[in-house]
Amino acid sequence: MTRTKVISILRRNSMLLILLALYVLVATTANGFFTINNQLNILRNIAVPGMIAFGMALVIIVGEIDLSVGSMVAVSACLTAWFVEKLSGGAFEPAAWTVIVAFAGTLLFAASIGLMAGLLRQKINVPTFITSLAMMATLAGLANLITGGVPISSFPSWYYFIGSGRFLGVPVPVYLLAVAFAITFTISNFTALGRSIYAVGGNMEAARLSGINVWRTKIICLMMTSVFAAIGGIIYSSLVNAGNPTIARGLELEVISAVIIGGISLFGGKGTIWGAFIGVLFLGVLLNAMTLWGFNPYVQQVIKGGLILAAVFINFFIDRK
Amino acid sequence: MTELSLKDLTKHYGSVKALDGFTHVFEAGQVHALIGKNGSGKSTFVKMISGAVQPTRGTIHVGDSEANFTTPRQAQDAGIATVYQELSLVPELSVAENIYLGRLPKRRSGLIDWRRLNRLTEELFQEIGGLEISPSALIADLSVGQQQMIEIVKAMSFRPQVLQLDEPTSALAQTEVQHLFALVRRLRALGVTIIYITHRLAELGMIADTVTAIRDGVFVGSVPIDKASPPVILDMMFGDLPPLVRPATQIKREDPVLSVRKLALFPFFNDVNFDLFAGEVLGIAGMLGSGRTELLHALFGARKLDSGTMRVRGDTVAMPDIPTMKSLGVGYTSEDRKHAGLVQMLSSHANLCLAGQAKIAPSGWITNGRERPFVERQIAGLHIKVGDPMLPVASLSGGNQQKIVVGNWMNNAPEILLFDEPARGVDVQAKRQIYELIWEKARDGVSSIVVSTELEDLTECCDRILVLRDGQISETFANAGIDPKDIYAACMAAPQTVGAVS
Repeated sequence: MTRTKVISILRRNSMLLILLALYVLVATTANGFFTINNQLNILRNIAVPGMIAFGMALVIIVGEIDLSVGSMVAVSACLTAWFVEKLSGGAFEPAAWTVIVAFAGTLLFAASIGLMAGLLRQKINVPTFITSLAMMATLAGLANLITGGVPISSFPSWYYFIGSGRFLGVPVPVYLLAVAFAITFTISNFTALGRSIYAVGGNMEAARLSGINVWRTKIICLMMTSVFAAIGGIIYSSLVNAGNPTIARGLELEVISAVIIGGISLFGGKGTIWGAFIGVLFLGVLLNAMTLWGFNPYVQQVIKGGLILAAVFINFFIDRK
Repeated sequence: MTELSLKDLTKHYGSVKALDGFTHVFEAGQVHALIGKNGSGKSTFVKMISGAVQPTRGTIHVGDSEANFTTPRQAQDAGIATVYQELSLVPELSVAENIYLGRLPKRRSGLIDWRRLNRLTEELFQEIGGLEISPSALIADLSVGQQQMIEIVKAMSFRPQVLQLDEPTSALAQTEVQHLFALVRRLRALGVTIIYITHRLAELGMIADTVTAIRDGVFVGSVPIDKASPPVILDMMFGDLPPLVRPATQIKREDPVLSVRKLALFPFFNDVNFDLFAGEVLGIAGMLGSGRTELLHALFGARKLDSGTMRVRGDTVAMPDIPTMKSLGVGYTSEDRKHAGLVQMLSSHANLCLAGQAKIAPSGWITNGRERPFVERQIAGLHIKVGDPMLPVASLSGGNQQKIVVGNWMNNAPEILLFDEPARGVDVQAKRQIYELIWEKARDGVSSIVVSTELEDLTECCDRILVLRDGQISETFANAGIDPKDIYAACMAAPQTVGAVS
């Protein structure tokens, strides 16, 4: 391997190297960081932002944005609880089918919101920045409306398992994260759709004139992200065992931060799912470490913000070379 | 005198010698054409003279003073102005504001002195012999040719002794080119040393006093224009180059591949009829704004027709949109490679596999390995010079980028190819290769339609040439040694019916 090749590989994986450095730093300075339990804990904590980040990565690569994912998580949690409550008539132990129907209804709702954002972009050229900003407020309001502002606790006793349960010692949300990774990674690397996503984000007109269905590509990405956010909402509703309208406030910023740290260009056409995963894991490890180090939460916020800037700088200098 | 003298001017990028030991004196008060194929070092030359990049070694003298600059601003102060191919005007500002951007005259209150600004601009226009453009007109309302002239006037407002023009005519129509030449001649009369870079060899006789050639980063020679016959020029640019001969073709003029009747797209054309036969190369000529590009877009389904019928191999196309036309074997290469032809940030590999997705991966599953044979076939078949196909396509020369666009469509096994300005911004050698490719495909039965501003290109390349004028095909020329002048006359002829097109 030549020197330039080594440099190029290092450069492409710079965020991974920084993450490894952070691992070494934290492992040597924070007590209880490098235990299997804590590692699994980190993975469980990043499961929801992570799967949304995978969708968000595709949305940003295709040249759009979705600011409504935080509110989508909240409304999905509430909607699921509301469906179960209505379908079971407020029974103490609702039947399993009510939960399944509730899932289907919630996911369908989420998909249709993504579809709507895409169609608005296509038909009357409203930027998704605007539609999703509007959706951010609308969906948060809707979450409060259907719950009346207080959490709905309507779930059957086994429902906790989705968010808090373990299978073979690994938390269930971690499996869901792995599935989301597998799906988005496969799409971006091994399908015609993935190729189209990069082409559309890189140059929409060139993609259109190559006969790529630009709008279908964008709409699929937007719908997928909405659905991932809804699954995130379901996981959270299980974790707190209620449809709570106040959860996931500001989650969109965390997700977008992770995506940027992962080296995905906000201008579209560039970035990888693997990068998004590194970004999410980086934030998760950092948060966990700062807690173990006993940093005050306000300091944590400041550091998080500074890191996003730092990541943007690093990516800028890598791109320039 | 303020001639521009260069001594041993050299630029190395790593081990690549972009320009190597360029030594020459460009006399003042003359137009010096600088020619060379793509990648010969012309742009490096321009960038070094304009201060955008610094020479590895060598010196630049303007008149007697040595010019050492590290920024374009310093080059400007030293009396060197440069007008690049890409316009850098602000569309929403006025002509005068653009010319004096960053140094607008102000009143004592700090507000802009509009009257003085417009007067200064008027004076500037007078000095170069008058321009029929209002200083207060918005740039966005001007034609590309007028914008190009404003760009030159802006450069002139810095009172340069040396003016570099990088392909100023590449986006202009014939009449606008004449206006631009008149402006350049007036500047020459003012004693400015003009370096004129162009791909259009036909222009040299009209505007240049000397012709200087660069080949592979090396100064080849400089001859006065009366000695610069086409063979001499080609020889300087390419060394030995075999003559280009259009192969004789036997086209069966029955059962057209593509047949269009009464095509209308307001306000561009209202009654277009023609047939395209298997293996035919059909040229479409017409003035800028005659609707050539729009016609190609409509044939490709990228623009919706107002009315008319299209038949491919005898079957009427009910809904001509891009997916339909693509599935019928129609391909389209855009006149605007950068913005509509290629995804610049993606690799050559990825750009070669955009249009052919359905052929490469019918099931929707794709891997690099599956794409690779398609990529390699086009790189070999089209002689595309790519170092590593995984590197961004933006790093390739214009000619090679154009071949990638063509290769992208070849991977969709096309039967009808629509070429919009295939030779724009590529050098003579690359242009020949593209024509040879069109002919080679024609022998295999692929039909092509070529649109070009350069009428010489059409007479060189096509079997038959249609002239689009007044919204219809006004004349048809079978190409057996026709003179581009006849086609030009047909393009320019006065409308036959009054008010045929608004």
